[in-house]
Amino acid sequence: MIHPSEMISAYLDGELSWSEHSQLVDHLERCGRCTAELEQVQRVRAAVRSLPVLELPEGIVPEADPVVVPLRRQKGLWAGVAAAIAVIVVAIAALVGPDPGSVSIDELSSRFGARVSLDPAFGPAKVVVPPAVIDG
Amino acid sequence: MESIPLTWEEVARVYGRKIYNFAYRLTGNPDDAHDLVQEVLLRVRRGLASYQPGSFEGWLWRITRNAFLDEVRRRNRRPTSPLPDEVDRWGIASSEAADVEYSRISLGDDIQKALLELPYEFRESVVLCDVVGLSYEEIARAVAVPIGTVRSRIHRGRRMLKELLE
Repeated sequence: MIHPSEMISAYLDGELSWSEHSQLVDHLERCGRCTAELEQVQRVRAAVRSLPVLELPEGIVPEADPVVVPLRRQKGLWAGVAAAIAVIVVAIAALVGPDPGSVSIDELSSRFGARVSLDPAFGPAKVVVPPAVIDG
Repeated sequence: MESIPLTWEEVARVYGRKIYNFAYRLTGNPDDAHDLVQEVLLRVRRGLASYQPGSFEGWLWRITRNAFLDEVRRRNRRPTSPLPDEVDRWGIASSEAADVEYSRISLGDDIQKALLELPYEFRESVVLCDVVGLSYEEIARAVAVPIGTVRSRIHRGRRMLKELLE
């Protein structure tokens, strides 16, 4: 008896022609060996197909062409940078200035560009002014 | 006519995960899979401009397997690398290096380990069929072999897996 063994996987995958399908089904009814092989291959196939689908790790996609950043986002970015600089400047001024009590926030912001960070349109960044500066 | 993703970003979005899973199951570790996906996406990006309408998946998986085989060849050319007898196991022969690779398989269950034991052409066909979900015809186009060869490789690959898993 010829065993059409290599048809078994194609049968499971739905890749047999109609005539091949009929031929294999007829054979399986008469052949315990091929029926056993069918069951074994079916289990292996199911096992490989049960492997978890892995998600694409973040950052795996190489950088695309440079993207034009919308003006609003760009503005927000620079406002954030300005705010960070302003916070540092205010903190330094509070710590090492000759007379912190005499420095007003308006004066500081106009001098060092901190005004942008105080504008609510530029997002959540805020200037943290030490109490010594405000109270003075 | 087959519709294809229009841009490289869309290819990355639609096929990135499939390519990663193919790469991971073929190589057995996330770092190599990561590198392979990046290389494939870069090749897709370069190739899209000259892509001729046809079987997009066949084209994509041809690029993917070529990138994989190029990497295997590149590793095999390194003078300090062990020289495997065949294009197999991501170019790593049985050695301490292979043990290290095995230990890096984070999802290293028995099935993944058994897959790595298969000769490359059997592993490739099984993974393209059972992990990626390609038809035999698509695999034949991607691998550039007759469909009968694909049928044979998949069945023999599964039988080898059965032996390995017993």
